[in-house]
Amino acid sequence: MMGTMRQDFGAAAMALVPRGMDPLYTALSLFRRRKFEDCVTVCTMLLEKNPYDQAAWTLKMRALTEQLYVDEVDVDEEGIAEMLMDDNAIAEVARPGTSLKKPGTSSGGPSPGVRPTSQSGRPLSGFVRPGTQGGRPGTMEQAIRTPRTAHTARPVTSASGRFVRLGTASMLSTPDGPFINLARLNFHKYAARQSLAKPLFEYIFHHENDVRNALELAALATEEAQFKDWWWKVQLAKCYYRLGLFRDAERQLKSALVQQVMVDTYLYLCKVYVRMDQPLTAIEVFSQGLEHFPGEVSLLTGIARIYDGLNDSTNAVKFYKEVLHHDNTHVEAIACIATHHFYTDQPEIALRFFRRLLQMGVYNSELFCNIGLCCFYAQQYDMTLNCFERAIALASDENMADIWYNIGHVALGIGDIALAYQCFKLALASNNDHAESYNNLGVLEWKKGRVEQARAFFQTAQMLAPIMFEPHYNFAALSEKMGDLQSSYIAARKSVESFPEHMDSNSLLKQLKDHFAML
Amino acid sequence: MDLFDEDVGNISQPSPIALVEAKRERRQPRNQSKPASHEGNAKWLHAHYDPYSTLYTFSSCIALADLHGDGDNKLIIANLGTGKYDMKLKVYKGTTLMTENTIIDLPTAVCTFFMDTHDPRTPAVAVASGPYIYVYKNLRPYFKFTLPPLDVNPVEQDLWNQAKEDKIDVQVLKEMLESLRADGSEGTLTVRSLRFLMLDPEDMPTFANLHKHSPLKRQTVITCMTTLKKSHSEEDAISCLVIGTESKDIYILDPEAFTVLTKMVLPSVPVFLDVTGLYDVEFRIVVSCRNGNIYSLKKGSKAPKYSIELSSQPVGLQRMGKNVVVGCMDQTLQCYTTKGKRLWVLTLPANVMTMELMDYKSRGFKAIMVALDNCEVHVYNEKYLVNTIKTEDIVTGMKFGRFGREDGALVMTTKGGGLIVKILKRNSVFEEKDSRPGPPAAQNQKLNIPKKTKLFVDQTMRERENAVTMHRMFQRDLYRLRLDAARSYVKALETSMTPMSADPLEPLKLSATVNGIGPSFKLTVNLQNTSSATPSINLLITFQYDEKLYQLQRSSIKVPLLVPGLNYAFQTLVECISDKAIADTIKVFVLRKGKSMPIITGNINMPVSEAQVVV
Repeated sequence: MMGTMRQDFGAAAMALVPRGMDPLYTALSLFRRRKFEDCVTVCTMLLEKNPYDQAAWTLKMRALTEQLYVDEVDVDEEGIAEMLMDDNAIAEVARPGTSLKKPGTSSGGPSPGVRPTSQSGRPLSGFVRPGTQGGRPGTMEQAIRTPRTAHTARPVTSASGRFVRLGTASMLSTPDGPFINLARLNFHKYAARQSLAKPLFEYIFHHENDVRNALELAALATEEAQFKDWWWKVQLAKCYYRLGLFRDAERQLKSALVQQVMVDTYLYLCKVYVRMDQPLTAIEVFSQGLEHFPGEVSLLTGIARIYDGLNDSTNAVKFYKEVLHHDNTHVEAIACIATHHFYTDQPEIALRFFRRLLQMGVYNSELFCNIGLCCFYAQQYDMTLNCFERAIALASDENMADIWYNIGHVALGIGDIALAYQCFKLALASNNDHAESYNNLGVLEWKKGRVEQARAFFQTAQMLAPIMFEPHYNFAALSEKMGDLQSSYIAARKSVESFPEHMDSNSLLKQLKDHFAML
Repeated sequence: MDLFDEDVGNISQPSPIALVEAKRERRQPRNQSKPASHEGNAKWLHAHYDPYSTLYTFSSCIALADLHGDGDNKLIIANLGTGKYDMKLKVYKGTTLMTENTIIDLPTAVCTFFMDTHDPRTPAVAVASGPYIYVYKNLRPYFKFTLPPLDVNPVEQDLWNQAKEDKIDVQVLKEMLESLRADGSEGTLTVRSLRFLMLDPEDMPTFANLHKHSPLKRQTVITCMTTLKKSHSEEDAISCLVIGTESKDIYILDPEAFTVLTKMVLPSVPVFLDVTGLYDVEFRIVVSCRNGNIYSLKKGSKAPKYSIELSSQPVGLQRMGKNVVVGCMDQTLQCYTTKGKRLWVLTLPANVMTMELMDYKSRGFKAIMVALDNCEVHVYNEKYLVNTIKTEDIVTGMKFGRFGREDGALVMTTKGGGLIVKILKRNSVFEEKDSRPGPPAAQNQKLNIPKKTKLFVDQTMRERENAVTMHRMFQRDLYRLRLDAARSYVKALETSMTPMSADPLEPLKLSATVNGIGPSFKLTVNLQNTSSATPSINLLITFQYDEKLYQLQRSSIKVPLLVPGLNYAFQTLVECISDKAIADTIKVFVLRKGKSMPIITGNINMPVSEAQVVV
C-alpha cells in the first residue's frame, strides 16, 4: 500500500491541498481533524521541497506519533517475564490484604462458590480490562499453558512484542526507510530546543518504540531544562518504567508532582506502585490526587480497580458508585456495580444497571446475555429467552461459548436437562477449552449414570482449569463412589487448595482420612 | 514430719500469709506472675499447691469452718491415711497444719455444726467413723455417739449362745453360720459372725473362744452424713445431723441431747445425702442409693415417695435450687427435678471423680463443679460449661467455701495426695452462656441475607398480575430456543464440531493445548477413549490450518490402539511463519481410516506469536 502511495505521491498530496491554500496550514488543519495519513502525505511533500522545514518535520512526527499513540496509563499487561522473573519483589509472603499477588488473603472477598472465578482464580470482574482475566500465575508452566487463545494471550514481556503490536509501525518495513534515522541524530542539539525535543521524544517513544534512545533524549533534555520541567520528568519515568526501573520511575514522578500536580502523573505513579505490588500505597497516592482534583473519575476508578484486585468488592463498589456520582455514563463502573449486585443475590438491581448500559448505547452480546441472566434470576421470565436470542445473534466466535453456557444454566434452572446438555455441548463446540461446560457436562453424565464419561469430563475440566474447585470436587466425589479412594483423595486435596472453605470437599477429605486411618 | 512445709517450685511458701498475698495480688492482677498458664487461671488465682501433703481423702471428709470464732476459717480434713492406720483429723490454718487428732476407724464423713447457742459461736466438728460419730469441740474430743444397736438374728444369737455354753463346736458353728449366710440373710449377720467366717479354719477356735463370752451386738456403719438446720436458717443456727447407714436407715439426730429425732427407712443403702429446709418447719432429703436410685424424703414421711432410676451408678449428687444434679459413672451429668423428671443430660469428656456445689454468695452465683479424671474441674451453670480449671493431678476431693478470710476459695485434694488451693478472683464473671456443649453459637447467628429490595417487590407484583402472559411468552420463547439449540446441535454433530464424539460406537474425547510463546509452539492433542471396555483402533489425527501462517511438523499422526479410560497425548510442533502478529485457528480432526467424515473436531485458537527477537 505504501508503495502505491509513493508512486502517485505528488498527485495525492496536491489533491489534498486546495488551491491557493498554504500547504502547511492545510497539513495543520488535517492534523487537527485527525486525518493523520493525509497530514503525513502533505508534510512529506513539504519536506521533499525543503528538507530543513522544521515545522513540517515536527508536524509529520506528531502525525505519525498520533497514529500509534496509546494511552500509556491504561494499557498495561504484565508479561510472563515480568511476572515470573520479578526481582522487585519486596516480600515473598505478604501480609493479608496488602498484595495483589495473593488476593485471596484479604478478608471479605466473595466466595468462589457464589461468584465464579476467572481462569486465574480471581472473582469474575464486571468489566474486562488488561489484568482482570489473567491474574498472576504461579509457575512458568501455568503461565505458558493457561488459555493461550488470541484474546487472552499474554506477551512474553511488556518490553517487546505487545507494544510492537499495539503500535505496530517500526517493525513493519517501510519501503523508503525510516522517517528518521535515530542513529544519526545528535540528541544534544535537539535536547536544547524544547519545541523540537518533545515531539521527537514522543516519536521515538511511541512510533519507534526505542526506549533506550528515548531515555537518552529525555535525560539530556531534562538536564537542559535545569530539571525544572515536570514534563520531562514524567517522560523519564515512562522510560524507566518500560525498562523495569520502578524505583527510578517513582522518584522522577514524585519530583514531577512537586513541580506540577497532574492527574496523569498521579495515575502513572500509581501504576508504578501497582507494578511494585504495593496496592495500599497506590490507593494512598490516588487519595492524594483526589485532594487536588476532587471528583476526578480516572483517579476514583483507579482506586476501585485496586480494591477489585484485592478482592475487596465492598470497597470497590463504593468507589465505583462514587465514580458514577461524577460521571453517570461510566461503563466500567456501571458494569462492575451490576456484576456485584448480581452476585450478591440482587439480580433485579443488576438488571437496572445493565438496562442503563443498554440505554447508553452499549449493544453487544455480553450485555444481552447478562440482561437475560438477570431477568431469569429476577423472575422476569418473559424477557429472559428473548435476550439470549439476541445475544446469540450478536455473538462472535469468542463469546458464543459463554452464551451457550449461560443458556445451559437457564435450562438447568427450568429442569430441562436435555436442553442443558445440548447447550453445554454447543459451548464446547465453540470453545474447546470451556472448562465450566466440561464440568457441568460431567455432572449431567453422572446423573445419567454414565460414570466413565463423567470421569473423563471432570478430568478434562481439571486439566483445563486447575484453579476451579468444582471439577476437583466432582472428580473426588465420583472417584470415592467408584472406590478409587486414592484419586479421590488427591482431587479433594486440590479442591481444598483452590477453595479452602469448601465444606463438602473438607468433609469428603475427612471421611477419606478416617477411612485411611481405619485398619 | 516436715511434709507440710515443703516449698515446691515457685509456689509461695505455705503459710497463712500466702493467702493474704494472693489476696493482694488479686487486687492488682496485672502485677502478679502466674505459676503456669492454665485455662482456669483467668478466673482463679493459684494460691497453694503441695503435691506431697499425703492426704488421702474425699469430698465428704473435707470441711471449712471458723473453729475459733475469730473470722479465720480453718480447713478440716479427715484423712483416710492408708485405710488401716494413720487415720487423722487434720486442721489447717491457712496452709499450715494446726492440729492433728487420731481417728480410730476409717472416717466416712466430716461435718461442722453448731450444737449450742453459747458465745463465742464456735462450731463442733462431727466425724463419722464406723458406727460412731465423734464430736470435737475446740478441737478436743467432746462426745462419742453410737448408733442404736440393731436386732440380732435370733438363730445367730442362739448359735453363739450355744457356742458360749460349748454345746456346739467351732465346726458346727461355722457350718450353721454359713448356711445362715447362704439363706440370703448375710446383711443381717453381725460383724462378729462375718469376721469369723472370713478366718482360716485354724484361727477359728481362737477367735470363737475369745469373743463368745461378750454379748452379741449387731451394729451398722455410717455411710454418709450431713447437717440440717433445726429451727432457724441463719448461718450459725443450731443444726441437726442427718446420717445414712449401711442398714438402709436415715437418722436425724438432736444436736444437744444426741437422741434420734427421726428415723426413716430406705430401700437401699444411702450413699449421698442432700438436705434442704429446716427440721422444725419442712425439709427434704434427697438420697442417692447404692442400687442406682435416687429417693426423695420429706418431713413426716417414713419411706420415700419419689424415686429416680438412674442409668448408671451415681458418683456425686448436688442440689441446684429445686433440681438435683447427678454425676454418673457413664460419664454423664444429669439433672432431675425432685419429682423425678429428667431435665437434661450432658456427656462429659471423662469420668467423674467428685462433685461440689459452688455457692458464691457474695455474687449470688451458684454452679456445679465436677472433677474429672482428665485433670480438669468443670464448672457448670445450669447445663452450660462456664469454666474449666486444669489441675496438676486428678482431683478426688473438693470443697468450695470460705477459707481463711477469703470467701471464694476452692480446696482440692488429689489422687496423688496433693493439696491445691485456688481463689476465685473477685472480678471474674462467669458467662451465663454456653461455651461448648449444646447447639453451637453459630446457630443463633443471623445470616447476612440481602434484604429484598423494593424493586424486587414491584417486579413480583408485575409477575403476579401478568402471570399468564409471562408464562405463555416464556414457553413460546423456550420452544424457539429449543429449536435453535437443536438446530445448532445437529449442525455441530453433522460437522463433528464437538470435541467429544456423539457416535456411541466411537466414544472419544479430544482436548488440545498449545504450549510455547512463539514463533514455535508445541501443540498437544489429548485423546481419551471414554467407553468402558471397547478399545479404539484405526484412527488418525490430522490438522487443517492456513498454510500461509503456520507450518506443522507432522500434519498427520497415526493413533495407536486406545485403551479405554487412559489419556493419550500426541504432540506436534507448529511454526508460525508470519511476522504479521496475527493468529488463526487450527482445526484438529480425528478420522477413521477409509472414512472422509471426521469423528471429532477440535478448534484450537492459536495465540499470537511473539516476534522473533534477533539479537
